Amino acid sequence: MASQSQLRGRKGKGPALSGPSLEPYEEEDDHAGSGVNQSRRQSSLERTLNSDKASIAIVGVLTALAFITRFYKINHPDQVVFDEVHFGKFAAHYIQREYYFDVHPPFAKLLFGLAGWFVGFDGHFQFENIGDSYTTAHVPYVGMRALPAILGSLTVPIVYAIMKESGYSSVVSAFSAILILFDNAHVAQSRLILLDATLIFFMCLTIYSYIRFRKYRFKEFSQEWWGWMIATGVFMACTWASKVNGILTVVCIGCAVLVDLWDLLDYRKSSMERFRNHFFARAVGFILVPLIVYLSFFWMHFAVLTNSGPGDSFMSPAFQETLRGNELLLNSQEIRYFDTVTIKHKNTKVFLHSHEDRYPLKYEDGRISSQGQQVTGYGHPDSNNHWQIIPTKALPETGRARVVRHDDIVQLLHVNTESYLLTHDVASPLMPTNQEFTAWPKDDLSRYNDTLFQLHLVDAHEGEAWKSKSGHFRLVHVPTKVSMWTYQNQLPDWAFKQQEINGNKNAAEKTATWYVDEIVDSESDPSLPDRTGDTPPQEPKKMNFFKKFAELQILMLQHNAGLTASHPYASSPINWPFLLSGISFWTNADEQKQIYLIGNIVSWWTCVTAIAVFIGIIGADLLARRRNIEPIPDPVRNRLWNNTGFFILVWAVHYFPFFLMSRQLFIHHYLPSHVASALVAGSVLHYILSDDTLNYPISVRGDTMRPKRQTYADLGMRGPIALLGFTFSLLFFYIYIAPLTYGTPGLDGNQVNARRLLSTWTLHFAAKVTDGA
Amino acid sequence: MHRPSQVAIPVGDLREEDSLSDFEEVPYPTHTTNSWTVNQEELPLHYMTEEKARRRVPKAPAGNGLHDDKAEAFDDGGRDAYNKIGSVKGNMGGGRLRRPPPPPPATFTEFLQQNLEHIPPVVYTLLSCWTRFHKIGKSPYVIWDEAHFGKFGSHYLKREFYFDVHPPLGKMLVGLAGLLSGYDGSFEFKSGEQYPDTVPYVAMRVLMAMFGVVMVPLGWYTAVELGMSWWACHLVAIMVLCDVAWLCISRFILLDSMLLCFTFTTVFALTKFHNQQYQSFTFDWWLWLAFTGLSIGCVMSVKWIGLFVTALVGLYTIEDLWEKFGDVRMSVQDQLRHWGARIACLIVLPILVYMASFKMHFLVLNHSGPGDSQMSSLFQANLVGNDFAKNPLDIAYGSKLTLKNMGWGGGLLHSHVQTYPVGSNQQQVTCYHYKDDNNDWIIVPRWDEPEYDPDGPLRFLQDGDVIRLQHASTTRNLHSHTIPAPISKLNNEVSCYGNATIGDFHDYWVVEVVDDIKRGRKDRFENIHSLTTRLRFKHEDSGCYLRAANAILPQWGFKQVEVSCDKENNPNDIHTYWNVESHWNDRLPAGDAKFYKSPFLRDFIHLNVAMWTSNNALIPDPDKEDILASKPTDWPWLRLGLRMCGWGDTQTKYYLLGTPVIWWGSTASLFVFLTALGVYLLRQQRKYVDMEPREWEHFLYVGKIAFVGWFLHYFPFMIMGRVTYVHHYLPTLYFSVLLLAHLLDHFIFSSRRLSEQTKRIAFGVCTFIIVGTFWWFRGVAFGIDGPINDYWGLGWRESWNIYNL
Repeated sequence: MASQSQLRGRKGKGPALSGPSLEPYEEEDDHAGSGVNQSRRQSSLERTLNSDKASIAIVGVLTALAFITRFYKINHPDQVVFDEVHFGKFAAHYIQREYYFDVHPPFAKLLFGLAGWFVGFDGHFQFENIGDSYTTAHVPYVGMRALPAILGSLTVPIVYAIMKESGYSSVVSAFSAILILFDNAHVAQSRLILLDATLIFFMCLTIYSYIRFRKYRFKEFSQEWWGWMIATGVFMACTWASKVNGILTVVCIGCAVLVDLWDLLDYRKSSMERFRNHFFARAVGFILVPLIVYLSFFWMHFAVLTNSGPGDSFMSPAFQETLRGNELLLNSQEIRYFDTVTIKHKNTKVFLHSHEDRYPLKYEDGRISSQGQQVTGYGHPDSNNHWQIIPTKALPETGRARVVRHDDIVQLLHVNTESYLLTHDVASPLMPTNQEFTAWPKDDLSRYNDTLFQLHLVDAHEGEAWKSKSGHFRLVHVPTKVSMWTYQNQLPDWAFKQQEINGNKNAAEKTATWYVDEIVDSESDPSLPDRTGDTPPQEPKKMNFFKKFAELQILMLQHNAGLTASHPYASSPINWPFLLSGISFWTNADEQKQIYLIGNIVSWWTCVTAIAVFIGIIGADLLARRRNIEPIPDPVRNRLWNNTGFFILVWAVHYFPFFLMSRQLFIHHYLPSHVASALVAGSVLHYILSDDTLNYPISVRGDTMRPKRQTYADLGMRGPIALLGFTFSLLFFYIYIAPLTYGTPGLDGNQVNARRLLSTWTLHFAAKVTDGA
Repeated sequence: MHRPSQVAIPVGDLREEDSLSDFEEVPYPTHTTNSWTVNQEELPLHYMTEEKARRRVPKAPAGNGLHDDKAEAFDDGGRDAYNKIGSVKGNMGGGRLRRPPPPPPATFTEFLQQNLEHIPPVVYTLLSCWTRFHKIGKSPYVIWDEAHFGKFGSHYLKREFYFDVHPPLGKMLVGLAGLLSGYDGSFEFKSGEQYPDTVPYVAMRVLMAMFGVVMVPLGWYTAVELGMSWWACHLVAIMVLCDVAWLCISRFILLDSMLLCFTFTTVFALTKFHNQQYQSFTFDWWLWLAFTGLSIGCVMSVKWIGLFVTALVGLYTIEDLWEKFGDVRMSVQDQLRHWGARIACLIVLPILVYMASFKMHFLVLNHSGPGDSQMSSLFQANLVGNDFAKNPLDIAYGSKLTLKNMGWGGGLLHSHVQTYPVGSNQQQVTCYHYKDDNNDWIIVPRWDEPEYDPDGPLRFLQDGDVIRLQHASTTRNLHSHTIPAPISKLNNEVSCYGNATIGDFHDYWVVEVVDDIKRGRKDRFENIHSLTTRLRFKHEDSGCYLRAANAILPQWGFKQVEVSCDKENNPNDIHTYWNVESHWNDRLPAGDAKFYKSPFLRDFIHLNVAMWTSNNALIPDPDKEDILASKPTDWPWLRLGLRMCGWGDTQTKYYLLGTPVIWWGSTASLFVFLTALGVYLLRQQRKYVDMEPREWEHFLYVGKIAFVGWFLHYFPFMIMGRVTYVHHYLPTLYFSVLLLAHLLDHFIFSSRRLSEQTKRIAFGVCTFIIVGTFWWFRGVAFGIDGPINDYWGLGWRESWNIYNL
């Protein structure tokens, strides 16, 4: 018996009013019903094409073609191309087990590392520049490129399968697959050591599994239902772990699940208990499982990368100490009073520096300085970088009390000029809002208070000892509460173009972080080992995986948002669906060869037209329905909403967020959306050709459902003819653009001009049109 | 279930507590004046009727949305009655309940009683006058942006053309205020300077503060039109009255009081129009629709931020029309009339108002002034005090000239000693919008030709000539090469290189004549004239064209417009067209040209593009910390205030800071609203009934106006690149204040569960907190004298820089 309040609160039409018992809701597959042109028999052509054998044959041909297009001359060029600079290098780091930092999650890169290891790559080649030769360095690059090529090839049959599972005929499914198969952008992107092929492959698998899962919705909690749900979750995690943009796939499945749950919440469809079961099942399948999978990749990432490498300096000191051979681990020492140290700025890597020269009395803009000794940031080792730490309290002769600690107040003595670091309320040379830093002679005690600085260690607990290398700190001036700060801006010639150092009034400024680079000299204390030299290697420290993960994840997000530098081939999202611009991946001036990432214009324009047509159909239908006219029969309309609408959702979720991003964007960010738009194109083609006929049923029938008659979609001869037409034009343009995709053969100027189908494509080696003028 | 008999309940059937006013939907017997006067005490003051109407469904015994059978039956009947209200039953209901017009008053007492409802707003208006005008002239100094807007007002009085990023209406009103108060426009409005006796700044401030005064009654009547309860209307008025940020910003010579005022009128007109929805095409309906359009036009002509409230009206209209579209009983003519009415009143009318304000702007400012160079050369030539007409007409070698880009919002070709930090590192070439010696260029012959001889025969410039352009002050030559330009990476960089003796063939430019505005096609004339001939400059070596298309250089280029060399030869690209503006040549006779008028539409577009470009150049400079600027995420939490003047001990100090409880409360209401909406929707999906349909529609309608309005006024700032300040949130705040009042109304004042006593207490507590906080912080708006640190308890948040540290 359901609780009293629940029943009483429910009011309105429907069976619930009639009594307290909840009648089992009879589920209906809303794709069935009257109004469809019910062709219960298929034409013989249709039947042959849709038979399992024919389907397998079609998949076979498509897959074979996919492998041929992706593997054709995969060894060319034998040089580093575009972002292979990054991703090749990361693979090398995995093999060398050196820690690196990147904005993308590790899964796809781990796969590359694995592929490299598999084909015997030793990780010594560093992929420094575009155009570096692989052959001279003996890098088994073909093996590494084979991985994305295989995944890229397998994407084609998966696209076919998605369409097939969605209830479309073989012809329509093949159409969608061919849009991807003969697309130059997909081919070019899959043949190189880049992450996108992996991303797209797993994205397609996610969509495929989700559709399979949805088809079991009338057999809830069955084994298959669970299986496909968990598969969706796992693939989703793989997509996300391949590249940051994979998060969009997660968002997209999330939206679909929410819509689904909202539907289940309807009181006519399910009791609260059923809803609760569904809710928790999905929480497991779509949240818990993916999270575990996603985390496990990071776990592997950390497990493989145990040595110090180029990524160290991004991480916190505690993290760095977990890496074998890390400088912090080797050389981090406690700092004691009267030690002489060099101090480095964390972001700009300059030393705190001072020299005899003084600030000019008057600056160019007419402001006046204190004419004190200059304090600047200097990038190179120099004895003028040496500062001694002077206590402001009485110290015992020996022992732990001589260690400098968090929140201690100290003076910094510039050793060469015998003067103390000081700041005061005088505007700095370049920033009137900030305070000038200068140095004051040691003997002059009149400014004693202005030479006092408090040492704030970052994330430190009370009484924590200050350590070289790892002890990041802010130096806050005691009387005026400014932080010693510097930024990338050079002082004029009077300061030898060294970097300005000033006092930032925001004492908690994050970029005002410094660390002690080295202890140059220390007072001899017989009880201590010599701390200025190297110490024997230490065992790496342990750190909680979740802490490591959280730290890395936050850094990735920050750096991803920070990729704002302009790039000649960056393009804005509005250009993408129309294929207005590409990316020059690689050029070879001698033979006039180039790789230019650009899609097949027929494929892309078909896709974008299909989206427009779909929106047009739905819009017209909505308008008509508003006026009580129903131009599309319900089952067909439901199919359009539920299936094509889902593809549109995938497309939109993978596309529109880019409009909000301020980071640099490239056309290859559109490739996942392009796949989705190919799916849309297939279903729109079906709608246009099928005369409101549907394949029904496609979902697995539930136990409580009444069996309904099967119906078939009937495309007749139109389907194969349309398919052939598209295939030929796609193939034609594919081959025409192929020299830009494969980077071979070389093209002369006029041939390049001929292939510049849109004036916005920026190809190399174009002949001058204006030659004659 | 259907009980028609209940619809037409005879009055006699009612129980004692269901007074007549419950059924205000049933038309009164309005013609029988007698009965009216008899029932005087039943006068349908709208807030009372509203109050009771909401309680039409009797209190449910359990109180949590549950109904017993009786309630249900009653409720059904009630719903039917509501359905009879209008012809359309859509989800556009929810405004103020309709009420028939009262009969004409027979006696004075009657008149008073009929207008009782207007007494509170009158009281609030008087209070508002007091707060807005109190000690308004206390600080005789130029405070904050008075330096800008006062100055612009002066320009109108002096009739000198100036340029600013904001549309002209607000500044014209400042000028008008100056005119009315007898100011002659002679003061420069330097920031922080003391007003001389000749400037009637108090009168000007008072006139500006009028707009602020109006906000309070507008807030009240908007709440009334939104169908809020009596309590909630009071709260809205009190919050509008007591917010110190609104108060503070209204007391100076600024545009914000006008922007706020017109935002308020727009919302008011919209709600008023909404309540006319069942009397389409009546006089009132047209009145309020047209008033909405007028108000939109005004708000957009004050600041472009007005676009956001326009978007709100747009969304409302789309939803409204969608409803109408679904009404199959409505005739096609009516549908078209609805569409036509909206297009005329909400699109055409505002655009006309906007353009009219520019027309006025051009009419008033007919003298040459500091903003000249933003406009096209022809426009400038028509300004009084401009001597372009005296320029020599024909261009010859050796002429010194300035080149004006003819694209919308184009500037003068400019170069200065600073170099590009990227690319070639040579001297920068930009487009600049102010007159300056660095805009001067000299036409000299090619390197392989004999040097220009000042005594030799005159050689006029012809179409197709290959020339060098020498920058007059640095003697460097205009130069281009195949290095990508700093912003438009696909174009070549343009720089200045060499000097009078050093240079190469990269300095050669081919002069291509397009046509002449006066003389027509290029084959009809020979010599190139200043001002009217349209030219293009082609780089001879690389074949690219000199182009400036409003791309802004970063700080190193002083936010000036990038000049590049476009490899695509697009003969129709207006951004590659140039004309000679100023022209100096001692050897040529001064011209005496008569110019064609510059067409208004051209000037209008030109000025708007220039405003847009300058507005886009207002991006935060990463190298320079602007302590006044704040981020949109700071505003709802009132993280930062803004010092509006110097902070010395002897100065009167004003601090732009909201009343914290209002800001925090309204921000909290956003979250509460979303949560409540989510919970209600979830419960609806489970078929719980929390409200009757009309209540639900009312909840949605007011919520939509307030929340969508807030969102539209807030979110665009998040993606905007330009630098933002806390006063950008002030129009936004209004919507969250409405939402706060709406939620208090929904959960407390219109609740069926709470007793009148509780409501009174709740209202008292809210009012006390708001007024108390206002009183606590009144100083920041009225002006604080003496050392700020002597005032205790103002630093409620550590991030406020109200105290000197």
